[in-house]
Amino acid sequence: MDVQAVKTQSLARYKEERDWFALLAEAAKQMPTSEGELQVKLLEILLDSKQTVVDCVENDKPFIGGYFCNAPELFHAMDLPWFMLMETPFLAASAPYLLNDIEGAEEMGMGTDLCTAIRLPIYYIENGLMPVPTALLGLLYPCDGAPMLHQVIEHNKVWKDVPIYACDPPYTSDERAVQYFAEELSRMVEFLEKHTGKTLDVDRLKQVCEESNRTYSLWQDYNELRRSVPSPHGWAIGGAQAFAISQCFVAGDPRCSAWFEQLCKCAEERVAAGKGASDQEGWKEKIRLFWFDIMPYGWIFEYMPWLESEWGATIVMDMFGNFPYTLIDTSSRETMLHDLAKRNLLDAPMIRQARGTAENFSNDIRRIVTDYKIDCVIWPGHMGHKDGSATIGIMRDTCRELGVPFLHIGLDLFDKRYTSIDEVKDKTSDFFRGMGLA
Amino acid sequence: METRIDSEAFDRFREVTSSIGNSEIEAWKQAGGKVVGYFCSTVPEELFTAAGLYPFRMRGTGSTSTELSDGCFSNINCSYPRHTMNQALLGEYDFLDGLVCINSCDHVRRIYDNWTVRLDTPFVKVMSLPRKIGPPQIDWYYEEINLLRSDIQEHFGVEITDEDLWKAIKLHNEVRALQKKVYEYRKLDAPPISGAEALPVMVAGTAMPKERYKILLQQFLGDLEKLEGSSDYRVRLMIVGGELDDPEFMQVIEEQGGLVVTDSTCFGTRLMWRPIDESVADPVRALASYYIYDRPSCPRMYGDQSRRIDYTKELAKEFRVDGIIGERLIFCDQWLVEHYMTNADLKEDGIPFLQLDREYILSGKGQLRTRVQAFIETIEGMRS
Amino acid sequence: MIVGGLDIGSATGKAVVIKDGNVVGASVLCSTARPVETADLVMNEAIRQAGLSSIDHLDKVVCTGYGRLSIPFAEENLSEISCHARGAHWLVPSIRTVVDIGGQDCKVISVSEKGTVLDFKMNDRCAAGTGRFFEAMARALCCGLDGISSLDNQGDEPCTISNQCSVFAESEVVTLVNEGIDLANIIAGINLSVASRLSSMARRVGIVNEVTLTGGCSKNEGLAQALAKKLGIELRQLPQDPQIAGALGAAIFAGERLEASDDGTS
Repeated sequence: MDVQAVKTQSLARYKEERDWFALLAEAAKQMPTSEGELQVKLLEILLDSKQTVVDCVENDKPFIGGYFCNAPELFHAMDLPWFMLMETPFLAASAPYLLNDIEGAEEMGMGTDLCTAIRLPIYYIENGLMPVPTALLGLLYPCDGAPMLHQVIEHNKVWKDVPIYACDPPYTSDERAVQYFAEELSRMVEFLEKHTGKTLDVDRLKQVCEESNRTYSLWQDYNELRRSVPSPHGWAIGGAQAFAISQCFVAGDPRCSAWFEQLCKCAEERVAAGKGASDQEGWKEKIRLFWFDIMPYGWIFEYMPWLESEWGATIVMDMFGNFPYTLIDTSSRETMLHDLAKRNLLDAPMIRQARGTAENFSNDIRRIVTDYKIDCVIWPGHMGHKDGSATIGIMRDTCRELGVPFLHIGLDLFDKRYTSIDEVKDKTSDFFRGMGLA
Repeated sequence: METRIDSEAFDRFREVTSSIGNSEIEAWKQAGGKVVGYFCSTVPEELFTAAGLYPFRMRGTGSTSTELSDGCFSNINCSYPRHTMNQALLGEYDFLDGLVCINSCDHVRRIYDNWTVRLDTPFVKVMSLPRKIGPPQIDWYYEEINLLRSDIQEHFGVEITDEDLWKAIKLHNEVRALQKKVYEYRKLDAPPISGAEALPVMVAGTAMPKERYKILLQQFLGDLEKLEGSSDYRVRLMIVGGELDDPEFMQVIEEQGGLVVTDSTCFGTRLMWRPIDESVADPVRALASYYIYDRPSCPRMYGDQSRRIDYTKELAKEFRVDGIIGERLIFCDQWLVEHYMTNADLKEDGIPFLQLDREYILSGKGQLRTRVQAFIETIEGMRS
Repeated sequence: MIVGGLDIGSATGKAVVIKDGNVVGASVLCSTARPVETADLVMNEAIRQAGLSSIDHLDKVVCTGYGRLSIPFAEENLSEISCHARGAHWLVPSIRTVVDIGGQDCKVISVSEKGTVLDFKMNDRCAAGTGRFFEAMARALCCGLDGISSLDNQGDEPCTISNQCSVFAESEVVTLVNEGIDLANIIAGINLSVASRLSSMARRVGIVNEVTLTGGCSKNEGLAQALAKKLGIELRQLPQDPQIAGALGAAIFAGERLEASDDGTS
């Protein structure tokens, strides 16, 4: 396949995905609640970001591809539109073509022992289904799949000429590690300046970081509200979306803070009225759950509402809704790079747990179980999260020490064929019953 | 395993690699010596030698179950750390005075976390190995090595001078040169040593003190010199992959008529094909450059695939290989994707490639035989 | 020249006798616990068909299949992969892809114009997509293998069988039965799930026309239909029992080897 063919084909696919979100946005508009309004706003921001990429491809404007958690404030301040390499599994896992794409990956020899969030982008790159950006940013953690995905990109004949810079987070978590990662980010900025023609203006970065601080502080406030019993929100709003909006689309953008403001307002009203996540749907919160991973995007609608309606189980906190708040000191370029490094190395979900030694698996369980009055912890055991699956003993011990039950399921967050939904439900039900939670 | 090699040194190599504990360790400990285990070939073992410690590369040899380690890992984890951890929980590694882990891959790096919780080895450290291979990463690893150096000095009450380090580097380089000589024999039309026989020779180098190993290796080379070669094979094969310490796996391949003449594995050529640069001023700098950039890398090192495939092709040519087998431990993301790229690259050059997934402890021999036999028949079919 | 080919598989033993380029004997028997015994029984039956009285009358025997290493009267052994390719290609020289579904493994083989193997893929160590899998499913459905394979039993709305593991798939099927799902749709679902797996393997090798099925499970018409649909092509039928393709290939190799050695000596 030549560059032109890839350009045409990937653009068509990208538009198809954009239209899929447009469809979802239309559906969300039918929801009369303020939470529905928030969903719509999120989808509109997402659509806007997709449309911008389409515009860049069509009009040969610079744009970049990127991973998650490599300090998006930096390229936002450089006014560089971007898309995320794992956008489809993370955001469009309910799209009609997803299961076919997984089969396509399997036909390439990428079976179920390679993370679906990695094999899908590999499939897209190798089959010309991903827009070819001006430059590409990678990140070499949280898992072994990440560097392999980036290496396939370098190896691909069409992508070979796309300049790529991958940040290399160290394995340790002390000040020396933060310094090193800040230097990695600084080299990333140099790389972007060289290959996109854009520059990083310190004042602009300052503006973005200040806005980003505001966002994260609102997020902090919001998460305080989720401590209430019953929790004002569950799986449907405020967890994964909070991450998507703050890290993936509009980092350090007033639209982002505005969204969080509204989110807080919604939650405040519910807390004041003593309302639980979905009181209007007629169920009561009985089990407060910590879902310690990303959401099962491939079959979220088939499982999460069931948790609520069948068991009164609220996902009070999940891995991506939980982002410890580190203020960015905006006094200079150096302080900003340093604190962005710190945030993206030590705070950013999944990177925070899976990038280094395992203590944050237990630290987070301890903190969240206590702060959010959690009744039980579920480690879904996604087939790609191998380091986490090598930490189940440690997690189980922590839960035992805290006196909360722990469930490890074993599934694919994106592909419901790996472990069928019925099986996941059976395991969950047995767990709730067996542990006396129901 | 039957062998034609008549050599006391070879018998010794086979003995020390057939189980975890061995008589060399016993002797060393009786003399008051300390033993430090380490995972992965990217840990600079020269540091241990320089500190007067016995470096021991961690294996799960002889394991028959993962019963005890199943509580730490789950069923999507690699069998190598699971068996190795199980052996440790069984007490097979009680001889260790220290352990150095590293973030080599998602499975093995968690050994550190589980080990510190479940076992009471007095000195357990984890190194932070970068994934890139540029100058900033060499700088980072330089510091890592120096940090480990001070930790060792403090814990074991020894001093590691630059002179000690240079001495160790020289010794390890001499060993590398001798190991390369063993491989030289494998280039012959009628090699005196098979792949299944060469593997324990290499593994032994990670299971006994280097000084002692060097002497035995010299003796072994003398014995090899006298041995008549064998051209009783159908095709010449190369193995590319990761943690492979099991001669039986090689033997099954060779029983089908495919003589394994070379490899790119981390118990094989990647350990010794290139020496550490002895011309720089700072020995730690020499080690950092070597482990990050100079030695042939494995797929966990990002941005180095083109050098890796070049290395594979270079060796294939040098050893006149007819086909390449890409072995991989099930659940390894890194080798799965690497072999995918290797397959594409070798196809362009018309070099036959077979991917073999395996468990750390050999199982499913019947399928393995069929695959290898069919691969050999395919290669032969191409010739005619 | 009379030569024999043996294919001692995990579920069945197959034997073929070729005399002067024609198949004069072919038999299939269930495997016994001992490969040598299976080989003896099945070869004697083929020999009887060929009108011969003893294995000694064969000029050369080549053996393939799981039991290939332990048969005393076979001078040589070859992998099933080469033999199935050779056998299918001999029957229909335009065959370029062979999908062999045996008792405990399945393979997709890419075949050259000459009938040699260009590339192959083989399933993992589990029973998914093999005869064992179908046996387990037939057990769960109490319908026998014929019930699964009959074209009359393939429902229009195949159920999703998500588990590839035969043990889990068996309980999945039991659940479906208990839910009162139409048997035909369960059967179609089972065949579709195996067809998907085979199609995925086939795409990894590359599908080049013409494609044929060999091995015991090739007799499963429901599976053949589902696979043809998945691959989007018509499968080519072999003019002889596709289950003996491996043994046939082995016999052809025996003949070729014999000719080559005769040429060498004369």
